[in-house]
Amino acid sequence: MSGPFAERMRLIRKKVAETGRVFRRNRMGMLGLAILIVFAAMAAFPAQIMWVFSTIGGWDYPYGPHDEVASYGTGTDPSWENWLGTDSRGNDVLARLIYGARISLMIGTLAAAVSMALGSIVGLLSGFWGGWRDEVLMRVTDVFLVLPWLVLMIVFVAVLPGGPSVIKIVIVIGITGWAGTARIVRTQVLSVKKRAFVERAKSVGAGEFHIIRKHIFPNVFPLIFANAILTVALAILSESALSFLGMGAPATVDVTWGNMLEDALNADAMYNGFYLWVIMPGLCIVFLVMGFTFIGYALDEIFNPRLRKR
Amino acid sequence: MRDFRRIILRRVISLFVTFLLVICINFLLFRMMPGDPLQFMVPSDPKIPDEYKKMLIERYHLDDSMSEQFIIYIKGIFTLDFGESFIHKVPAMDYLLEYIPWTLLLVGIASFFMIVIGMLIGIIAAWKRGGLFDSGSLAFSLFFYAMPTFWLAMIMVMAFAITWNIFPPSRALDIGTQFELTLASVKDLLHHLVLPVTCLVLVYIATFSLVMRGSLSDVMTEDYITTARAKGLSEKAVLKDHAVPNAILPMLILIALTVAYIVGGAFMVEYVFEYPGVGWATIVAVNEEDWPVLQAAFFLIAVAVIIANFVSDIVMLYLDPRVELS
Repeated sequence: MSGPFAERMRLIRKKVAETGRVFRRNRMGMLGLAILIVFAAMAAFPAQIMWVFSTIGGWDYPYGPHDEVASYGTGTDPSWENWLGTDSRGNDVLARLIYGARISLMIGTLAAAVSMALGSIVGLLSGFWGGWRDEVLMRVTDVFLVLPWLVLMIVFVAVLPGGPSVIKIVIVIGITGWAGTARIVRTQVLSVKKRAFVERAKSVGAGEFHIIRKHIFPNVFPLIFANAILTVALAILSESALSFLGMGAPATVDVTWGNMLEDALNADAMYNGFYLWVIMPGLCIVFLVMGFTFIGYALDEIFNPRLRKR
Repeated sequence: MRDFRRIILRRVISLFVTFLLVICINFLLFRMMPGDPLQFMVPSDPKIPDEYKKMLIERYHLDDSMSEQFIIYIKGIFTLDFGESFIHKVPAMDYLLEYIPWTLLLVGIASFFMIVIGMLIGIIAAWKRGGLFDSGSLAFSLFFYAMPTFWLAMIMVMAFAITWNIFPPSRALDIGTQFELTLASVKDLLHHLVLPVTCLVLVYIATFSLVMRGSLSDVMTEDYITTARAKGLSEKAVLKDHAVPNAILPMLILIALTVAYIVGGAFMVEYVFEYPGVGWATIVAVNEEDWPVLQAAFFLIAVAVIIANFVSDIVMLYLDPRVELS
């Protein structure tokens, strides 16, 4: 196969391979990737992981996140059967922790995808158009930047129809978190727009959307991508905060680390000495967020040549 | 000079537009809410007379058309009147006013410490770039940066209030006491403030230390730093007189942009510590579906952040004449 298509694929492959080479030399990025792989494994194979644990511990069966393995109440201390103890629902804390990775990761990535899409579209159009349309879009962006994210999310959860669900949380985090991205993308578009190849495309009569798609977007994409990774970290934190306030996914259906902590607060786990029940979900959030942050920073360094030189 | 005024005028206009949009959103959001507000004010008990319900409907303008409600709402804004709290039966703004000083106290003290300590860490890290302090402080800040604020608060309660019993686990004052201007009362207040303030400072310090470090590292590569060094100035003098003043600008932008985030974090801290601030009141209002209080809180916070933005713009213009109409 040859021709322009093959040539383009070759260039893309070359670029990806080059980025990979630089990334592998970045210690922070590789550490982040390692963390992420561990959590991805938890999200993909929770039942299998629990099966391994049950074999080691000699339990009757591998516990699921909703199995009542102890009586409903305030929780129990760690034991050989329940390594991290049980919670007030009588569920195994370890099982909930491992199954929790899936929903936490899912909400984080989906919500980040929604806000990246919104932010990129607004940023691209606003920067490209300029003039009064830019002005209007930026004022709307300002509103979302000005309002404290948490308050905005709480109000959106309250006003959107339907009970708490994963989809609703994804939408709420998505539509409250796009403004920062829009700003960053717009600034980048403004500088790309002035380059000669955009002028050339304009002078040969290329349409607006053609220029945005073929000339501006590819140049802004690396930035969007690095930013998206960082946005996932923020989305995971947002999810945990909402769930903690009892406004997230319902704990009886979808386990997340956030609603595990909500349960812990409601059952006074801090006062009753169930340390692991409080500590472990939080640690998982911290490490997952750190994993994404490390990768985000590493990519930022790679795509931002000015930083790489230093 | 004329330019200067034009820039300020432009900023004022654009912030005013933002403010108008916030007002509209604040109105629309709360009319979109599902459910019947009456339901939350009076339990659905058949014994409650219809006249009472009718009186409530009239009092809260629940039956008026959207446009009439909007006019009432706009009129209310000028007098900070958001209607009466559904639950507490006092004007919503009055209800919130009681909580404001507590939040200002918490956020004020915490902001002071996070900015000062964050800047110091950033300066030392940039100065000794690549050294042990640099990587150590980076790991430290990123670890806390990745932490859910409420979780850190829970851990602190568990460790310092319950296990070791050094600080009180909740509230701003001992139960049953009111704040007075006596030494004992102030001591009690400070004692209660230690954990919430530390929690906020730890979580947000990274934001400041990282930006300070980055900005100072940038400045350190400038030619005038080399010139200053060539003149034979001591490292300390280079840092103090030439590098830091030029690196501080991005910090100012950051402080304004972070206000909204810190307020969000303060909400969670207040919730875990049952601290009687605006955040606590807001979360309670959400659970009680007390619209007027929520609306007033939304308005208050937005205005506070808009003002913070404006102040930082002015300060920046004053400090850096290069800032253009952007």
